[in-house]
Formats: sequence, structure tokens, C-alpha cells
Amino acid sequence: MHTEGMTKMESDPTLLAEVRKYGQFDPNACFQCGSCTVICNLANESVSFPRRIMRYIMFGLRKLTLSSLEPWLCYYCGDCSTRCPRETEPGEAMMTLRRYLTAKYDWTGISALLYKSKLLQIGAILASAVFMIALIVLFHGPFITDRVELNTFAPAHLVHQFDLTVAALVMIILFSNVFRMYWFTMHQSDKVNPLAVIRGVIKNGLGFTMHDGRKVKIPLRLYITQAWQLILHAATQKKFLSCNNKSRWIKHWLIVVGYVIMFSLVVVFLEWFQTDNIYPIYHPQRWVGYFATIVLVYFTAEILMGRIRKREEIHRFSDLTDWMFPGLLLLMTLSGIAVHIFRYLGFPLATYYIYSFHLIVAFSWLVIIVPFGKWTHLLYRSLAVYFQAVKEKAIERATEEQIPEEGVLDHAA
Amino acid sequence: MIELTINGKTDKFPEGKTLLECIERTGIKLPTLCYHKGLTPYGACRLCLVEIAQNNRTTIQSSCTYPATDKLVVNTDTEKVIKTRKVIIEVLLARCPDSKAIQKIAEEHGIKETRFKKRNEDCFLCGLCVRMCQERMGVSAVNFVNRGSERKVSPPFDKTSDVCQTCGACAFICPTERIKLEEVSKNKAVPILHEYNEGLIERPVAFIPYPQAVPNKATIDERYCVHMLKDACGVCKEFCEAEAIDYEQKEKKIELNVGAVILSPGFEIFDAKIKEELGYGYYPNVVTSLEFERILSASGPFAGKVLRPSDKTEPKRIGFIQCVGSRDCERDYCSSVCCMYATKEAIIAKEHVGEDLECDIFFMDMRAFSKGFDEYYQRAKELGVDYIRCRPPTVKEIPETRNIQIEYLADDDMKASREYDLVVLSVGLQPPKSINEISEKFGIELNEFNFCKTSPFKPVESNRKGIYVSGPFTEPKDIPETIMQASGASSKVLSLLKDVKGSLIVPKEYPPEMDVEGQEPRIGVFVCHCGTNIAGVVNVPDVVEYAKTLPNVVYAENNLYTCSNDTQEIIKEKIKEHELNRVVVASCTPRTHEPLFRNTVQEAGLNPYLFEMANIRDQCSWVHMAEPEKASEKSKDLVRMAVAKARLLEPLQKRSVPIIKSALVIGGGFSGMTAALELAAQGFDVHLVEKEKDLGGNLRRVHYLLNGGNPQEELKKIIEQIEKNEKIHLYTEAKIENIEGSIGNFKTTISRKGKSTEFEHGVVIVATGAQEYKPKEYLYGQDDKVITQIELEKRLSKSSEWASVRNRIPKNIVMIQCVGSRDEERPYCSRICCAEAVKNALRIKEISPKTNLYVLFRDIRTYGFRESYYTKARQQNVVFMRYDEDRKPEVSKNGNGLQVEVFDQTLKMPIEISADLVVLSAGIVADEGNETIAKFLKVPLNKEGFFLEAHMKLRPVDFATDGVYLCGLAHSAKAADESIIQAQAAASRATTVLSQDSIELEANISHVIDESCDGCAYCVDPCPYQAITLIEYMKEGVVKKTVDVDETACKGCGCCMATCPKKGIFVKGFKLEQIGAQVNAALEVQ
Repeated sequence: MHTEGMTKMESDPTLLAEVRKYGQFDPNACFQCGSCTVICNLANESVSFPRRIMRYIMFGLRKLTLSSLEPWLCYYCGDCSTRCPRETEPGEAMMTLRRYLTAKYDWTGISALLYKSKLLQIGAILASAVFMIALIVLFHGPFITDRVELNTFAPAHLVHQFDLTVAALVMIILFSNVFRMYWFTMHQSDKVNPLAVIRGVIKNGLGFTMHDGRKVKIPLRLYITQAWQLILHAATQKKFLSCNNKSRWIKHWLIVVGYVIMFSLVVVFLEWFQTDNIYPIYHPQRWVGYFATIVLVYFTAEILMGRIRKREEIHRFSDLTDWMFPGLLLLMTLSGIAVHIFRYLGFPLATYYIYSFHLIVAFSWLVIIVPFGKWTHLLYRSLAVYFQAVKEKAIERATEEQIPEEGVLDHAA
Repeated sequence: MIELTINGKTDKFPEGKTLLECIERTGIKLPTLCYHKGLTPYGACRLCLVEIAQNNRTTIQSSCTYPATDKLVVNTDTEKVIKTRKVIIEVLLARCPDSKAIQKIAEEHGIKETRFKKRNEDCFLCGLCVRMCQERMGVSAVNFVNRGSERKVSPPFDKTSDVCQTCGACAFICPTERIKLEEVSKNKAVPILHEYNEGLIERPVAFIPYPQAVPNKATIDERYCVHMLKDACGVCKEFCEAEAIDYEQKEKKIELNVGAVILSPGFEIFDAKIKEELGYGYYPNVVTSLEFERILSASGPFAGKVLRPSDKTEPKRIGFIQCVGSRDCERDYCSSVCCMYATKEAIIAKEHVGEDLECDIFFMDMRAFSKGFDEYYQRAKELGVDYIRCRPPTVKEIPETRNIQIEYLADDDMKASREYDLVVLSVGLQPPKSINEISEKFGIELNEFNFCKTSPFKPVESNRKGIYVSGPFTEPKDIPETIMQASGASSKVLSLLKDVKGSLIVPKEYPPEMDVEGQEPRIGVFVCHCGTNIAGVVNVPDVVEYAKTLPNVVYAENNLYTCSNDTQEIIKEKIKEHELNRVVVASCTPRTHEPLFRNTVQEAGLNPYLFEMANIRDQCSWVHMAEPEKASEKSKDLVRMAVAKARLLEPLQKRSVPIIKSALVIGGGFSGMTAALELAAQGFDVHLVEKEKDLGGNLRRVHYLLNGGNPQEELKKIIEQIEKNEKIHLYTEAKIENIEGSIGNFKTTISRKGKSTEFEHGVVIVATGAQEYKPKEYLYGQDDKVITQIELEKRLSKSSEWASVRNRIPKNIVMIQCVGSRDEERPYCSRICCAEAVKNALRIKEISPKTNLYVLFRDIRTYGFRESYYTKARQQNVVFMRYDEDRKPEVSKNGNGLQVEVFDQTLKMPIEISADLVVLSAGIVADEGNETIAKFLKVPLNKEGFFLEAHMKLRPVDFATDGVYLCGLAHSAKAADESIIQAQAAASRATTVLSQDSIELEANISHVIDESCDGCAYCVDPCPYQAITLIEYMKEGVVKKTVDVDETACKGCGCCMATCPKKGIFVKGFKLEQIGAQVNAALEVQ
């Protein structure tokens, strides 16, 4: 066999057991027939899943698993699971892999702990809630009971500053994790210590991809010229449209839009949004808020109903994180709406209490779900689409331009 | 009775007939259009006109309406009649120029064009439809309407009829195809689909199921027959001259008292409609493999032309999808035959359509596990059949072209798609639909897959005593396995019923033989179409016409299938009718069909050797497929040669010799012992010879089976039975020194511990077994951490230390498949290794679930129910990794352990596995001693050293040499239950000889002409059968040297005849003059 010089992959038979800690992953007698990949509308001439990634896990190919973008490219329509002649549920396996990868990207290790233990997950939510309750008890303003003065009870600028501080911390964690994702997938390396990174950059520049068993380097130019892909896909999730069930795209997209609007309102424009003035009905502050909350309530409720009914393939399995994400979001929105209603009705105490509850939920969301939970898929999926586009472009360029020998690295890994 | 003079010939006829009926009785054919035997004459077309002379004047009359009265003088061919008839034909041709019926009549009368103005109508107003509907159906859904030039046939008020029963008789009978059933009937006609042709074409209500049906008799489908349903019609009865139609026939219940039952209800194919996503039933160009088999068949819906259903065009690309209804969650078994039948169909389709036809087979594992199958698979690849390893989940139709698009995963693991004109679904085998009823009726248990349950050591027995089973009823299987199991079941019945054996046999009696001595040869030649198998290439009618011109040929004809039952009857009739005393059949090979035709001529009272065959299929239509003209010429040459020889044929008589009613079984392994016990149970003496000290062979090393059962216990039991059976004479540590003689009379010499013994026997069963391959690769023998499966099995046996001490089992075990199999040196599959690996892997997982197991394979061939164990192994996370023959895995030492490197074909990269133990699935290799045994028995070995049976598919336990049978690993690799089946089958086949008191010898054997032989002995050595010995005797006071032929040993090969310088020895039926005549005919020397 002429494999000298080729990248050899070590088989680690414990990988499957490890992945299984993150949810349903049952190759249940998969015989690698390829039905799942053929039926997948998102798999194409340049990217192949779910079979390939199932193979990585079954064969224990740890490094390849870590460097794969495929789990993020799947939007889980469930066709693969329906068509699988062995009923192996590749769709849910991809879901589990997303949890596994999220945990691997997270350097704090908190994601891994939370995914692997329901107890810890609930504990973490409760702990953050307790922390927030303590903060509210300690720092809330005076209760004005003759009229609703929310900004006196919880001055918007204070809440805003707190918001921004927490958001900044969360951002640091998220961005460091994003870098790890980049390193794992674009440098195909599992070592992220500073020395390894310097060595990696010297050797491979800004990353590479494999093509025909050869490395193809990715120049900076491609990262820049392909950046529009990141924005486009983050804003539209248009790959979702390739799935057969198009209504899922619109639901998903509306939730994201609602969420982004709401997030901007409460984190960036809180001082404009949280006011004791009750604006007239035609004021943008009101209808923007109404629109965002309505779509959030409607579609999170629908997701939860779907998961309860389990009628569709994609809802057959539900991890705690799958409940937590829409559940908290719904709770947060509903409590926000309640604050609005009580304030409108002029019930001061009810407004303050429900607002406190709203803050507690929002805080748990911000410190648990966003950096360590399912929220991250917002980030990783968009990035994965972007990275994949960059890789494909690089390969396209390499094959088209027949880039000179020195541009292509030798087989030595 | 009345007297008529027709064309000058006076004859008697029954009263009350029409003239036409009387004329037809004389064999004179008159053209008719409006006449129908089952309807009242109408006299519309006037084509049947004749000239009647009465009272010194002649008149022209239509004979169909003219009553035959006494003393009429009728002429059908006078100038006046012919001239008038021609005018009428021209008139009719002008009325309906497109009618095929009138065109044919016009052509027969030499009329090319009509002189009248063409009216291009589509109705003669012959009234056939009107009369048929009224008289026969009693419905009158159509009738004549209007008068004069407006007259036409129509349902009332030009609307579709309410009373029409949609029988279609009007449309069927119409000579112009004017009547369209949808214009007549309110109801939509439902086509009756031809069951045998898988519904690809329609069939009539009265029909013969298929050309070679047994019995080859027509039947009436009572569900659609108008007579049976409404007591109308009955036309067929009037037409059948043999008066064979009996509408009163009822289903009969027949009670039989039997001692045993063999259940072989077969299988059903999977209903592909269940897999909606594959488009069967929605897209016309998706067909099942059985439909495609019919499409390929000469007697199929398109007469052997490969056409696709949607537009009846020849496909350019065909895709086969494997495992449809096999290997899924509901049917977790492999149907065992689909890989090979798809391969066969692809090859045949390419033969029919041409090399350019693209055939792709979408598969998962190529299961070419039986003898010779892997070579066939390789051949298909060489012929350009493309095998794509992917199971396509769906197909799509392209509406414009009705082509089918298939998406799949290509070699590089990326999605690709191809377009096909036709897609064939390789549907799996299922138990028959009536399986539950059968199981209840017979009180037999079914297994988890709903097939009949059998046990590993009783593979032909149901759970109920006296009920035996065979065929795919017990497990999906191919033809040879089915035949073996059927023979095995009959062996079981033979021993159960040994006391009453033969009591119901009525010996066949032939008519006394005609003496043809001194008669001038009168030769009949019968040329076979064989569907299109011959006629598709060779111009058969031309050959027949040619044969008629040959000297002494008094009769020649062509037949669709000369071997069919009805043609046998025809041949017999013709022998009588034309007083034939020699018969020549030009068809296929004498190897398969000569006995049949000989029997036929014997049944007609001729000596069976007054028959000669010309093989125009194998030697003409097959080998010269691309040159039909030359093939036809060659067919004529062969017929001429056969006729030339036939002229000189002489009657020959068979001799018979007594049979020694005992058997020799060579090999005391599992197969040999089973065969010996079977024969002993049937009451025959058996000499069982084993070279080793202990009985049991390879089974001694098998400790457990995949499907349960305890082999060692079974072995102990069977050895005990052998040892205490009085009929079995056991010789262990024995060596066969010599075997001589032939069927019925063998003499064998064996030596045991220096002593030699001799015994006689009537048959031989070869059960010499085989061995596990001793690997040279993968560090075997260099590192004790590399072992074979059998060595592993020993460590895993109940008594071993591994079974008792849990942690002894290594943590990482790698199994490598196909070691010493499917390579250049041994291109065959060893069949059992995949299941063995799965078996041992499951056993390891059972003892030590934490052990990591890898199986490196090329195709996993767990056929039949073995598949479910493969599933189980995967469910228990045994890792199966595929490798390619060109990139075999590498095993190297790595510290204390081993390192295995395997190149993954899908990921295109090497994967490294650290292993504590490497287990090699070593193949099965033939026994070295086979060569000696083969020489003694004059039987062939294949190139891998296994014994070669008479026919791979149809005669899997016989040799071409009579009286010698084969079973077990000596034939090819197989599992224990399959060895039992084949051993029982061999015993069953041997019984066919041992049950007889004497055997008839072939008459075509060597004969010495004592006067010409001077004893030079040139012929002795060339004889491959050692049938000739030199003898001396006293003749008229001097020593006369001559040779003697052992008639039982002689096969009539003719080597002796060819070496004899004195014309002192010849083969009967192949005399020098006979061959000379053939040669002369071939060279066209007068």
C-alpha cells in the first residue's frame, strides 16, 4: 500500500461512546448504504453528509470529526431518518454531533458539562436565577405604588450597563470559542495552545482544505471576498430553503428576526425601549416590539407543541437543551409582554414583580443558553456555511488556476 | 348421407350442411371474410363463391349459404370462378384498402392493386360483429342501422351501449379493426394480463399458460369466460376439432394416502409497490427483475427483444437497484440470489442489445458466494457492467422522456446522478402468501422471518415428523441449493418409506420395435425455433425447405419448441403418418436433449438409435449471433450432415448389467458420515473410508454455530451411530490404493496399516473435504498475536480459558476477511468466512462486551438468514471497514501489540488501528488428495482443485461419470447445514442407482471386430477409461490375440477407433462409414 506520506487517521474506538453522552447517536446496524446522503438536499457534489460523518464516529476518527463542518450544514429536515433502511436516525445523530462539537469548541468546558448532565443544566439555570434575584433584591429602586414607574424600580441605564457588561463577557467567551472552531476546522488541528497556533500559522497560513489527498491553502483574500456569504446566510438562513419542508424556513427565519429585534431593543436600545412613557399605538417602538414578541411567542410555542406531539421525524427525540431553548425564550417573551400589559393597565406591583422575573429569565438565558447552550448554533452554523464556502472556493481556484507546485503543500502532515 | 362431386371428385357427406362446410371437409380452402364457423352464414362478402352444375347449366353461388343437396356437382377453381372472385376481391379491396384481412386474401390471389376507385371505408358490412353479439352473446349491443349507402354498424343512437357486456368479441372478430370497444361499451374494458409474462402483455380468456407448461393444455379462465358467466358464447367448443372443450369440468378433490410429505411451495417475490419511493407501479419504466427476466426471454412479451414498457423502444442505459425488499428492518435477511440474477440479466441484456448497452448495478455488498460466482462477477465487470456501491433511496422520472434519474453516491463519496431508460428493481424473495395457511394445515412452525423453521442439523425436516421441506420455503436460495435440498428431502423420505419402496411403480412399456432392416431410409427432419433462441438468428423455415430437398427426407417441419410435450406427440404422429424410419432433430445439444428424442422415437415404435441430432443452437445461433445468414447456411450444413449419417443408422440394442447394492463413501467427515448414515437407513451397505484416525473432519474444530446447536454433541452422536450401524463398514486410517470398474460394479482396494482390503460396490460418494488455508500474509506464523478464525474459535470454545476468565480477551481485535480467497491465486469466495467472522465477533461481544472489534472486509456475504447476525454484530458496535483488493490492509508490529493499517475507500485515507490480536479469516482450499481420487474415478477437478460436478446449476451432486456422486467441502466451501443437505442429496442420487437391480448400458460403445483385430494393443493405452484389455485365446489351434472391451467402463469416446490401424474396433453409432458420410456431406462431396 502506498500510503507513506499520506495523512493517517488513528481509529479510537471510544469515540462513539463519548459522542453518545451528548444525545441520541445510534448507528443501529448502519451498513453504509448511502441512502441518507443521497436523499439529503443539502449534500451536493462538494459536501457529503450524513454518511461520511457517521463513518467518522463509527470508525473512531476523532480528528476528522473535530474538523468537520458537516453537522452545522444540516438543518435537520429528517428525510435521512425517514429513508434510512436500518432506521438509524442520522438526522438526530447530526443533532447530537452539533452538541458534541459545541462542547468541543467551548474551552471553558461548561458546555460539555451542561450537555452531558441534565442535573447540571437545571442547576446552572437555577444558580443564575438565584444570582439575579440577589442582585435585584440588593439593587432595585423604590417601589412606587400609585403609578407604574418601572424606570424608578429598575432604572434603564443601570439595567443597560449591566446588560452590556454581561454581554461583553459572553462575547469574549463566544469569540474565543469561534476562534477554536476556526482552528479545528480550517487548520484541522486539535491543539490550540499559543505555540501550536504560531506553528500552525507559519506552516499553513490562514488555513487549508484537503482536495484529492492534497492540501490547498486558503489565502486571506478568500476570507474577505467570501465574507458576504456569512452575512447573507446569517441574515436569511437561505440554505434552509433547500429542505423539502419550506414552512420550516419561514418559521425559523421569523424567530431569528424576532429574536434579533428583541435582542437589539433590550441590549442596545434599552434606554429607548424601556421607558415609562406609553407611546401611541402607531409609534415604531410599540409595533416593532409587538411584531417581535408575537412571532417569538407564536413560533416558540409551535416548536414546543411539535416536540410534545412528536408527530414529525425531527421531533421524535428531544434533549433537555431542545426544550430549554424555546422554553426559556417563550418564558422570556411572555414575561416581557406581561410587563407591558401590567404597565399599560397601571398595576405597579405586578409590573415590578413580573419585570424582575423577566430579568431573571433573561439573565439565565444570557449567561447559560447563549454562551454554552443551543443559542450558539446561530453563530456556528452561519460560520460553518461561510467556512465551507471559503473551502469550496479555494478548491475551485486550485483546480481552475492549476496553482503552481509550491502553492500546494506536500503530503506530509 | 349425400353424394357431392367437388372438383371432379365424388364423396359422401353428412346431410344438413352448407356447401362451404362440405368443401372444407375435403381440405380445399376457400377465401372467406364474412364466414365464421360459429355463426349463421350470411353471404355478405361473396368470396366463397363456387360454380354449381345442375340440370346442364352452371350457376355461380356463394357456398356458405348454399345448402348441400344430393348429387350436386361443384367446382371451386374454374376460370369463371377465379375471375369472378378476383373481381370481388378488388371491389372489397377498394372499399377497405387498409384491412389486413382483405390485403392478405388479395396477396394470395396475386392482386396487388384494385382497379376500382378507393372508397377508404373501414367496414365491409360483413356483419360478423352483429351476428356474434346477437347469436353468440345474446346481447345485440351493435346492429346495422340506416339503409342503402348510409348503412353502418353502430350501437343504438350512436351512443355507447347499456347492455354491452364488454366481452370484446365484436372488436376481436372485426376484419377491419373498425369496432372499438370503447365506442361500443359504457364500461371500460379491463385487460386480462398475462400472468406468466408478469402482466406485461394481455392474454385471451382461453389460453395455454406458457409454451413449456406441464401439461401443455389450454385452459379457460372462468372468471372472464362469457359462457361460464352467462351461459352464452361457446364459440371455442365449436372450433375445437378434438372436441376437448368441456365446460362442465369441475374442481376435483383427490384424496391420497401417503407416508410422508415434502413441502416445496416455493417463494413469492417482494411487492415492489410497497417501496413507493422507487416508483414501481407509478413509472412505467421501472420494472421488477422478474418482469425484466420475461422481457429478456425468447418466449417473453416482446419475443426476446429488450424493450422498455413506456414506448417499446430499446433501452440504451439500464440501472439495477439491488436489495429491494431485502436487508431492511422489516426483512432483515438477504435474498441470496439477487446479486447473481442481476449480474446475469445485465450480461444477457448486453448480449441481446449489444455491447453499447450500459448496465449499472447499484448494490451494497456483492454476494457472489457460491461456486463459480465470483468468476462470473469478474466476467461481468470485464464485459462492462458497472457496479456502484450505493443504495439509492429514491428514483425520479423525467416526464418528457419518461427516463428515470437515479441519484447516488459516487466513488469519491460525493453525490452524482445518472439517467436510465429502464430501471430494474432486484426484488427479494419472500415466503409464499399462503404460508400461514400452510403452516396451520400441516402443523409446522415458522421462523422469525415467516419462512419454514428448520434446525441446523435437520435442514430438510419440519418440526412435524414425516413432513419434509425443501427450496426457498426454508430460506432464500439459488437453484443448486434448491436441487440439493429437494434431493436431501427425498433421501429422508426414502429411508422412512424403505419398506414400501417401488410398490407403486409401473414399468414403462414401449410398443414393439419396427423392423427397418432392408428398408429404404425415410427420414423426417424436425427443426426447432426454440422461441427466438434459434429462430432469432437462423432462418428456420429456410432450413426446413432445404431439408425437404435432401435425399431420403420424406418429411420436414419446424416447431416452436421441439422439446415440448405437444411436439413429441407431433413427431410420433408424423413417424406413423409418413412411415418414417429415421428421425433427425435440428435443435440444441444432444447432451441435454438426445435422451428425450430417443424416448420419443422409441415410443413411436422405432429403435431409439435411429435418431440423429444437429446442434444448430450452440453451433449456429449462439456462436454466430452476429452473422445470421452464415448461421443459416451452417445450419443447413449441419442438417445435411445429420441426414447423411441418419441414412446409415442401424438399430442398436442396450445391454444391462447387475448392480452391486453397496456404496463406497470416501471421507469420514461430517458430509461423508451423513451420506453413509442416509444410505444405511435406506438399507444399503456402505463402506466408509477415512484416512485419519478419528472421524469428524473439519467439524471437530467447530465449537458453536451462528444459528444455535451444539456441533460437538452432534458429532459425538453421529460417530456413535456410525460405529454401531451394522450396514456401515468403517475403515479408518485407510488409504485408497485403487478403484476400478464403473457404475454398478466398482472394485476398490484400500490399505490399512500395511494390510490391503478389497471390496465391491455399486456407487461412490466423494466426500473428501477441504482445508483451511494456511496464511502466508499478515505476519501469520511470525507473530503469535496473528491467528486464524479456527484458532480463535478454539480459544472461544466453552472449555477454553477465554470463556471462563473474562479479562483474558484482548481489548482490540481486528479481523481480516478474504485471506487466501478472491485473489489471483484463488479467485473464488470461501463462502463461510463472513458468517464465521460475525459468529466469532458476536461470541466475543457476549463474553466481553467491552472488547473493540474491527472486521476488515471486501463484501460482507452473510447471505440468507445470516444477515440478521451481521445486523446484530453492527448493533453491538462491531466496526466493519471495507478495503479494496488493490489496497489490502497491512499488519505491522508495534511495541507489544500490532498496528493494522487499512485504506478506507470512501474517505480515501489510511486508518490506523492498534490491535492486540489480529484474526485472519482464512479461506478454504481443496484437499491435495483430490487429484488421486479424481484419477481413480475418472472425474474432473476444477482449476482450484475442487471436484467438478456435472452441471453447476442443475446437477450439483452428480458427476458426468455415472454412479459417482459428490458432497461436502470437496465440492466447494459451505456451511455445516449445507454440507448435511448435500450429503443427503448425494445419498439420494446414489439410491437412484442402488434401488435398481440392473443398469442399462449405453449402446454407443466400442465393439471389436475379432477378425480384423490382430492384437497390436495400440488402442489399450489411449483409452481414458481403461476399458480395453489385451486378451489371448486359442482359435483353430493357434493363439489369437485380440482386445476385450469392458462395456460398463466404455464411454464410447472413440479413442480406440482412432488409433486402430486395422479397422478392428469401432464405436457403435459412429462407424467409419457413418462418420465418412457426414464428412462427405460437410464437404459436399458426392
